[in-house]
Order: sequence, then structure tokens, then C-alpha cells
Amino acid sequence: MDSQTALDILLKLVAITVAFTVVLLIVAYTVLAERRILGFIQGRLGPNRVGPGGLLQPFADLLKFILKEDIVPDKSTRFVYFLAPVIATMAALMTMIVYPFGPEFQVPFTNIVIPLTIARFDVSLLYVLGITSVGVYGIMLAGWSSNNKYSLMGGLRASAQMISYELALGLSLIGVILLAGTLDLAQIVEMQSGWHGARWFIFFHPLGFIIYMIAAIAETNRVPFDLPEAETELVAGFHTEYSAMKFALFFLAEYINMFTVSMLATTLFLGGWNVPFAEDIFGRGTFLFGLVSALGFLLKIIFFLFLYIWLRGTLPRFRFDQLMNFGWRILLPFALLSIFITATLIFLFPNL
Amino acid sequence: MEPQLSWYLALSAVLFTIGVTGVIIKRNVIAMFMCIELMLNAVNLTFVAFSSFFNDVTGQLFVFIVMTVAAAEAAVGLGIIIAIFRNRETLDVDEASILKL
Amino acid sequence: MLALLFLLFAGMAIGCALAVVAQRNPLYSAISLIGVFISLACLYVTLAAPFIAAVQVIVYAGAIMVLVVFVIMLLNVEEEAHQRQRLKFLLPVAIGLAGILIAEVAFILVTVQGTPATSGGLTHLDETNVGLTQSIGSALFTQYLLPFEITSILLLMAIVGAMTLARRGMLSPNARVVPGAQVLPLSMVDPTVGHEDTRAIETDSTDEAARLLGVAELRDQSKRE
Repeated sequence: MDSQTALDILLKLVAITVAFTVVLLIVAYTVLAERRILGFIQGRLGPNRVGPGGLLQPFADLLKFILKEDIVPDKSTRFVYFLAPVIATMAALMTMIVYPFGPEFQVPFTNIVIPLTIARFDVSLLYVLGITSVGVYGIMLAGWSSNNKYSLMGGLRASAQMISYELALGLSLIGVILLAGTLDLAQIVEMQSGWHGARWFIFFHPLGFIIYMIAAIAETNRVPFDLPEAETELVAGFHTEYSAMKFALFFLAEYINMFTVSMLATTLFLGGWNVPFAEDIFGRGTFLFGLVSALGFLLKIIFFLFLYIWLRGTLPRFRFDQLMNFGWRILLPFALLSIFITATLIFLFPNL
Repeated sequence: MEPQLSWYLALSAVLFTIGVTGVIIKRNVIAMFMCIELMLNAVNLTFVAFSSFFNDVTGQLFVFIVMTVAAAEAAVGLGIIIAIFRNRETLDVDEASILKL
Repeated sequence: MLALLFLLFAGMAIGCALAVVAQRNPLYSAISLIGVFISLACLYVTLAAPFIAAVQVIVYAGAIMVLVVFVIMLLNVEEEAHQRQRLKFLLPVAIGLAGILIAEVAFILVTVQGTPATSGGLTHLDETNVGLTQSIGSALFTQYLLPFEITSILLLMAIVGAMTLARRGMLSPNARVVPGAQVLPLSMVDPTVGHEDTRAIETDSTDEAARLLGVAELRDQSKRE
């Protein structure tokens, strides 16, 4: 193994560490933001005691989770019980490496060009779909191994819901693949640049965007699709028997999943790191352009996260048979219809 | 040293043999079904290895079709297993050795 | 470097495959099989076939095994019991036959001469684009269109077959009606009514309920001699 490969591997490890740290910080503050915003929607203040305005609350929560007593149910299958949160968290974090956080930029006063995608390969979008499919196992195995019939029901319902809406998710993304002609996420973002934001795929595939948002909310088990884990329904569903750090892992995995689908929505529909007039002001390839683009990416993701939190405070939840009915009999035909519409548009106006 | 084609073929043969052993030994019908899937995957590995070493896309296309057929077989096979379980209350293939319920 | 990766993933695949066969609890077999699929997907990546690797994870590990684990959980399958009345010699025979199979394969691999294309390593894969999505897609829709269409019809047949096998309208032949007057849901009596229809039928006697359900005549326990 020569030194160039070793240097590459080291750089990738550093990049992964930085990306994971940033993501975990953002997710921790998303939890706090959710509690505050839900509080404002419901006419009360959220947590605002710890630190200035409640900003140190995530660290207090982390301390609480670490120091809590770790309860393991007596007759559960131990190996699967410990494996389930690991699978859930791993599947949530592994998708982080293929997203383009920004364009290539040049570190000022040097000649180093840093690409802002950790791993760029040919089938990134399929990789994301595959890892999302594997993430279902965390919930299913958690429900089974808790040896508790409420957990089992919650786990089976959650996984049935997730695999049903995965289909609509994949089908709604086919329109984007048709428009872009490639499965590579970095290239999809590149194709949406130019024309100052008018080439974003949301304008060419709006029905697909709506279907994607609905399917993404169902995939991450958020309100209005959070029946399997709602507190009033099945005693917190599949993570009833998990306490302390393992519950923290599930909790974290859910919010990281939310972050991931927001990132995917931003990359595919809202143009990724393309900020409308940044190219004219800064010029491509400069450090400021890279910084502004990365900040723009982050702002778009925060917009989607705010949308999720807003939906949580506003909508009631679906009943399970209404949920399955909606997923199979309404959403799937509309996803197919969106593919037809987009394919017809591409055929009639091949101007992209 | 680079991985040779024969390494991939040997691995595929070993996986196939393990699958065959599983089908003979196992008594639970779902476990037998899983060993059949293992055999199918070993053959998939052979196809992809040959396709890479001969620069021909036919191998990978065939793998695609084999995966689709395996998915269809999984759906129908598990439906049959559920129907057998409803009638016999057991998943042991040694118990299901005569056609009478 | 590549040889190291191959050995790592091959070891994982063989280890998980042995676990599939050796485990008695079918849920652990299923988890080991998922491990086999994922290590095979990594091997496909070393063979420069990323599309097939991604499809393997999505279809096999993400869909088929989810179905299998669902069935294991729903049917509540226990571990295999250890008694084996009739075929005590099955395990030695199976291992012996497996040994013969591996010996045959080893013989072929050692004695068959390779062509220059197959004797080389994987370095030529830097220039190929055989595994990319574009080449698979273009071959699938031009040269191999007929297998593609036939596969889609096969999937349709599988969907219809699975739905027919899973229909719950039919009662098992061992069903009997419990004595007493019955209130039956309409969907049990009339197969054209869907399951969401919550209307019910009231019957006055057990015989009428048995007749409506099409179940065999109830043998009253007190009349048995």
C-alpha cells in the first residue's frame, strides 16, 4: 500500500469524522428545536432553562441518557436485543457519505482543491435506497426481541409501513433519474445549476416532490404516520423495552433519518448546494462560493426539518388501516402517474 | 497478488456446497428455503465474476433476471409455507412426509 | 490490497453461510443470511459491478429477507428440536457428499488451463465500463428486451399467486361451530363483501350458522357414544 493510498484513506477518515460530528450536532439541536417549536405551536415555551435560552439542553439530555440505568428484559433474546439499535443507527449514519455538501473549492493561498463529497460513485442514489431498506431491520428486530406483545405489534406495524412506503419513495425518485440521466448524486446537483434556480427539479417534477415528501414522512415514522411509536397507542411501540443508551440510539436514529431524507429532498429537488445568484457574485471554485453554497445547502435542509416539526404540531395521526390504504391504493398509483407525466414532458420537450 | 477468477469460482463453489448441505440437513422448511437462496446467490457470484473477467455485460444482466425470479419465488414459496402451516400446525418437513393432513 | 479485501469479504461470506446452516433458531439463520448477502454485495463491488451490488442489497437484503423475517415472526417459529428418529446418519452423509462436491470443483479449478483473459488479475477493470448502470440499461432494453418483458409477466404471476394463497376467506376443514346462537360478520358468509364492511348477520341456531358458513355438521359432544 503506497503512501498516496494511505494519505487518501486518512483524508477520507478525517472527512467522515467531521461530517458525522456536524450531523450529530445538527441532529441534537434539531431535537431541541422540535421541543421549542412544538411548544410555541401549542402555546407554551419549550425547555429554556439549561444554558442561555435552553441551548445546552442536548448535552443535558445526553448526560441523562448515559447515566440512566440500563434495563434488559429477562427473557428476551440477548444478541438480537443488542443488535437492533446498532443496525438502526448504522443504517441511519451510513447514507451520509454520498451527499454533496458543496462544490469543489480551492483553499485560499494554496493549490489544494477539496471536493465536498466524501464518496463519489456511480450508483449513489441506489446506495441510499438500499441502506434505507436495511434500516427496516433495526425496528423489526427490536420489536421481536423485546419479548413483549405490544413491542412486537409495534415493530411489525412499523416495518410493514416502512416497506410499503419505500415503494412510493423509489418510484417518485424515478422521475428525477429520468430528468438527470444519472444515478450519481453529485452529478444530479451539477445538472441543476445555471439559470439561477429555475432548473431545480422541483419545477419539472412537482407531483413527484409531493409524493416524495409524504413517503419520506412515512419512512421516518413521523406524524401523521407515527402510529407504531406513538405514546398513546402502543405504549411507545417497538422501543418500549429499551432504556438509557439504547433508547438514545433509536431516538438518534429517527432524527438522523429525518435529516437524511431532508438532505435527499434538497439534493434531488431543490438543487443541492446551488444558491441562486452565488455564481455571479463569487465565481466558481473560490472559497467564498464554496462556503456560501454549503450554507445554502444547510439552510434548505433546515427548512425541511422545520416543515417536519410544523407537521408534527399540526396534524393528527393516521389509523393503521388508513395508512396502508393510503400507501398502496392512493400514493403508489400517483407515483406511477408522476413517472408517466415526467417521461412525457421529457419526450415532448428535450431541451434539458 | 490480485484476486484471480479461480478464487471467485472457488468461493462460489464453497457457498453452493454449504447451501446444498443445508437443504439436506435442515428440518425447518423456512431454513431450507433460506439455503436455496444461498445456492442462488452462489451462482450469481459466478455469473458476475465471469462477466467482469470477460468484459461481457450478459452475465450481470442474467444476475438481474435471476434476482427477479428469486424474488417471485420467495413470495410464492412463503405463501405456500404459510398455507402448509395453517393446515398442519408445524413447520417440520419430516412431519409433512405424507400427503394426508 | 484488493486481495486483502477479497479475503475479508470471502471469509465473512463463508462464516455467515456456515452460521445459516449450523444455527437452530431460524431467526438467527435469517440474520446470518443477511450477512451473506451484504458480504456478497461487497464482493460485487470489488468485481467492478456496483449496480448489481446495489440491486442485491435492495432486493435480497432489503425485500426478500424482510419477507422471510416477517413470516418467521408471524408464525412464531421455535428452534429445531434435537431428536432425529429415522435419519440418524443424515449429517455424516451430507458432509460426505459436500466433501465430494468440493473435491470435484477443486479438481476442475486446478487442472483446467486458463485463457489469458481469465489468468490476469482485476487490474483491467479500471478501464472497463461493463458494470456501470448505463451499459446494463442499454443492453437490457435493446438486446435482451424479451427476457425483460417475460420477467415482468413472471412477477405479475407471482403477485397473483401470493395473493391467492394468502386469502383468508376459506375456513380450514377442521373448523367447527361452537354451540349457541351466532352473530357472524358478513364478510365471512358472503365472499363478495370486502373486509372493511362491518355489517353482521344474526343467526338463531348453531345449525343455521353451520349451514351459512358451509362447515360440516356439528357433532354435539353430548351425543357422542
